[in-house]
This record gives sequence, C-alpha cells and structure tokens, in this order.
Amino acid sequence: MKAIIFDSGTLISLSMTGLIDELRDLKKIFNGHFLITKDVKREVIDKPLTIKRFELEALRVKQLLDEKILEMPDSLKIDNNFLSEKTKEIMNIANSTFLGRGKEIHIIDSGEASCLALSKILTDKKIENVIAVDERTTRFLGEKPEGIKKLMGKKLHTDVTSKKDNYKFFKEFKFIRSTELMYVAYKKGLIDIKDNGLVLDAILYALMFKGCAISGDEIREIKSLK
Amino acid sequence: MQEVDNIISILKETRNAIKNKDVISLRSLSDQTIHTATVSQDPDNIAIAVIVYTLGKIIEKGKNGEREKCDEICRKILIDIEKLIASLKINNPKIIRNNLNSMRKHLEGNSGIFKKYIQDVFRKASINKASKIYEHGISMETTASLLGITMFDLASYSGQKNISFSGKGDKTISTKERIKIAMDMFK
Repeated sequence: MKAIIFDSGTLISLSMTGLIDELRDLKKIFNGHFLITKDVKREVIDKPLTIKRFELEALRVKQLLDEKILEMPDSLKIDNNFLSEKTKEIMNIANSTFLGRGKEIHIIDSGEASCLALSKILTDKKIENVIAVDERTTRFLGEKPEGIKKLMGKKLHTDVTSKKDNYKFFKEFKFIRSTELMYVAYKKGLIDIKDNGLVLDAILYALMFKGCAISGDEIREIKSLK
Repeated sequence: MQEVDNIISILKETRNAIKNKDVISLRSLSDQTIHTATVSQDPDNIAIAVIVYTLGKIIEKGKNGEREKCDEICRKILIDIEKLIASLKINNPKIIRNNLNSMRKHLEGNSGIFKKYIQDVFRKASINKASKIYEHGISMETTASLLGITMFDLASYSGQKNISFSGKGDKTISTKERIKIAMDMFK
C-alpha cells in the first residue's frame, strides 16, 4: 500500500490553477490513498468556505473529499488522538530547533506538522508514503535545515543558531510538490489540453505563480527531462 | 510587548515620516518591524507593522486626491503615536493594546468609499506583511495565522511576487531525484 499526504499549499495551488480534475485522474491510476489531516482540511475547506473570495476553491477540494479522492487518516485506521499527539510532538521539536535573538522561533504550524506526523506513523506501519508540500519551510526542515538557519540569519540580519541534534528527527521524510504531481499527470497523458509543446511549461509556471516554491531553473530542468 | 526600545525608535521615526509625508520611509519602517515580528511573533509588533504600512498607503492616496481626509487621519494618528510611545515606556500591555485599537479605529473611522478603501488597504497590508514574514523562513500556515489571512491569499501573493523561492541556495535535492520520487509512487 502507498499514500500521498497533501499539505494545504499543494491543494491550494492545484485548486487555484484549475488542476483538480488532473488530480482526480491521477488518483484513478494510483495504487493507494491520497490523504489529508483534519488540520489541513481546516485550512483548505473549513476556513475558506466562510470567505466568499475562496468559497469556490474550497468547494472544489471539499468535493474531492466527498468523492473519497482525498481521504482522512482514519480510513487507514489511524487514530486521530494518536495523530494529534504526534503532531504536537513534531511541532514542539520543529519550533525549538532555531533560535534568534535568544528566542526559539516558531517556524511551522499544526497543518504542516500533522503531515509530518502522519508520514511518520505510516512509515512505522510500513506504508510507503510521500508528502506533497508546496511551501518551502517544511521541505527545508527535512531536506536542508541549515538552509532555514542561513535564510533567517540573512533576512533578520542577526545570528540564528540551531539545535543540530533535532535535524535527524526530520531526515526520513520524502517530499514532492504540485509541480512533480502534474509532471506525472503530463507523462501519463492525463492532461486534457492539446499539447503543442507549451502545456507543461504553462502548468508549471501557473503552479509557481500560485505559491509553489519552485524556481525558473527547476522548471527548465523538469521540461528538459525525457 | 517585546523589543520595546526598538519599537519606540521605529514609532518616533514613523512620526517624522508622517509629518514629512515620506511614503518610502514608512514602507521601510514597516519592514523593520517585520524582523522583530518574525522572531517574537508578537501580535502587537505585527499590528504596528500593518498600521505603519497602511499609513504609507493613506499618505500616497492623499497625494493623489482625498487630501483633507488623509490629513485628518494623520493628525489623529500623530496623537495616537504619542500615546502609544508613552504606554510602551511603561510597557503596560493593556494600554498598549487599547492604543493600537484606537489607531486602527482612527484609520478606519471614515465613511463610504474611503472606508472601503482603507479596509482594502488593511487587508493588502496584512498580506504584504505576511509575505515578508514568509520570506524570512516561517512556514506559510504559521504566517497566515499570525496575520489573520487565508493561505489562499498568501499563496497567491507570494507566488506572483516570486517570494516562495529566494535563490539558488533553495534547491535541496536535485530536480531529477524529486521527479523520480513522484514517478516511483505511480509505478
């Protein structure tokens, strides 16, 4: 069994770029589960449903949940209380890892932490999984925590220190973004727009402009892959 | 409130910038409060960043018409700043919060189209300040929650301003490697 865990940002990018149907098609060829936690649901469905500007996007994501394209962790018999406990644990570790001006810097919140917690639980259950996360900080925490330290030091014009012992806690996670998901959709022939060599470029840039943390260089590299 | 001395010095400069109708300085002063807000994540620090940025926008609007209304707002705000500085000196959270609320009321206390304009400026100021905090390395969800905006607002704004990616050092694993992770999941 496999699972892709979706963070809020990825669903927001896909919803705002009108790529929800492509996600639906990806699920059809995926031998596993697309999961969201209750904290992510709050950010992408519950809250925006109360704001007229984003009501439509929220409804699109809600429909995915209603159709069971997206599922909650209890569909894999994962106890919500246990997930909440693990989420708190991860938030505590992540938010005490970096220190600026003598204070611990709160870097991630419950949605992002719940994705990491769910990934850990699935890995312990020997369920292969990746986290789809479009924002930079969570991905950096797993792949290049020193990058967060450097970035903050540069932006805050101050020395940022870190508890390096905490880094190992975030090492085992695998991350993809909405851009990689749509690359898969493109390669599998799931994109419904007539391709005259522009469609992949258009999709990747659209996702970037809706908040996916990807550079122009990376987009060029992805396009050059056979 | 945290880093009180720094905030007092920013407010004093803000006072001068308002008197001189110096929009550029106001923008830069607002950004300075963001450094403090990123670490402290103190709601009052964040409120000051948003108010200072909003003031810049109001003065800008005054230069392009609506001068009387803008001057009236600035006069009230200058008095509020004096009160705020005094409350910061005794560091009384309740009085500080009351003064911040009073500033916000004076900014929004107009009627009709101008009120709507100010409300819109406030919303945009919050998104702008959120994007600055996100740029400092704080996650999208944490930042959106601090500024009371949605992640949809922040994702869209940071994407358009290319804030989500700060440079070549942002690459963590190779492009090929990440594509392989995704492709392998669909095997």
